[in-house]
Amino acid sequence: MSNHNKTDHHKDDELHITSYSEHFGTWVSLILLTFMTVFISVYGADLNTLTVATALFIASVKALVVAYYFMHLKYDPRIYRVMLLVVMALFVVFLIMLIFDYLTR
Amino acid sequence: MEHTFSLPNSGHNYDAKASKLGMWLFLYTELLLFGGLFMVYMVYRSLNSDDFLIASFNLDVWLGAINTVVLLTSSMTIAMSITAIQLGNTKLSLRLQFLTVLAAVIFLVIKYFEWGAKIEHGLWPGMEHFISMPHGQQLYFYLYFFMTGLHGLHVVVGMIFILIVMNKIRKGSIHKNKHQLLENSGLYWHLVDLIWIYLFPLFYLIH
Repeated sequence: MSNHNKTDHHKDDELHITSYSEHFGTWVSLILLTFMTVFISVYGADLNTLTVATALFIASVKALVVAYYFMHLKYDPRIYRVMLLVVMALFVVFLIMLIFDYLTR
Repeated sequence: MEHTFSLPNSGHNYDAKASKLGMWLFLYTELLLFGGLFMVYMVYRSLNSDDFLIASFNLDVWLGAINTVVLLTSSMTIAMSITAIQLGNTKLSLRLQFLTVLAAVIFLVIKYFEWGAKIEHGLWPGMEHFISMPHGQQLYFYLYFFMTGLHGLHVVVGMIFILIVMNKIRKGSIHKNKHQLLENSGLYWHLVDLIWIYLFPLFYLIH
């Protein structure tokens, strides 16, 4: 019982402190991804649509890394991630409606 | 006997969770604001892909890349400043926030020179060279100035937010056990970074 309380407490109230080295590691990975996307764009210019897709894919990976580590979502209560998912789902719905609108003109 | 009347939640309570939730709700609306603009970009780009490609060559990939690195670094320093205040190292926390503000200034200075060069070449909407361009390229520059401009406004707001937080830390109203406002300013700053992560490839790297 006391054990159960402890885990509940841990889940909700205990402060999670991200270490300096973890932030630095996050930064290093983001910089590497940035160089990768610039490199692909500057030197892989023949593959037009492919480079756009890769650029957006890498951007999304970077955005997730920022949200999960810098914005602390990884260690926060699940509600923040769920709401982010709802917002993204809403965006996708708008996007699909927009695409259908343009495809059927 | 005192007769002060106060509601259970009237002002002097500190509720970090509610504060954080409120900040996130605001950030969700910000995501949709820029999401809408990205959809506008997507439609006009698919209708004018060649013009967008030609127009994008007017931007300097390396300046954009430097600004990306500047923003990513500032995101790290503001995240570290939260670690520092949680560990009780207020001085280091303030230094890291100062570095974040400095990075914001560097970002804006680089942006100033980028915009300055565009305006010098007459690419601002309404200028002579702008009017002579094909319609698709005009759209690209409308979107470029509007979206990077709105993002730049967010950089300015984020900078002011962090300066206010720094002032409160110096006055002692933000400290080790009460630092949600610092976290909120950090969240806002990361959002600024997050939006740039998409703006950079869409405007600078699309060729």
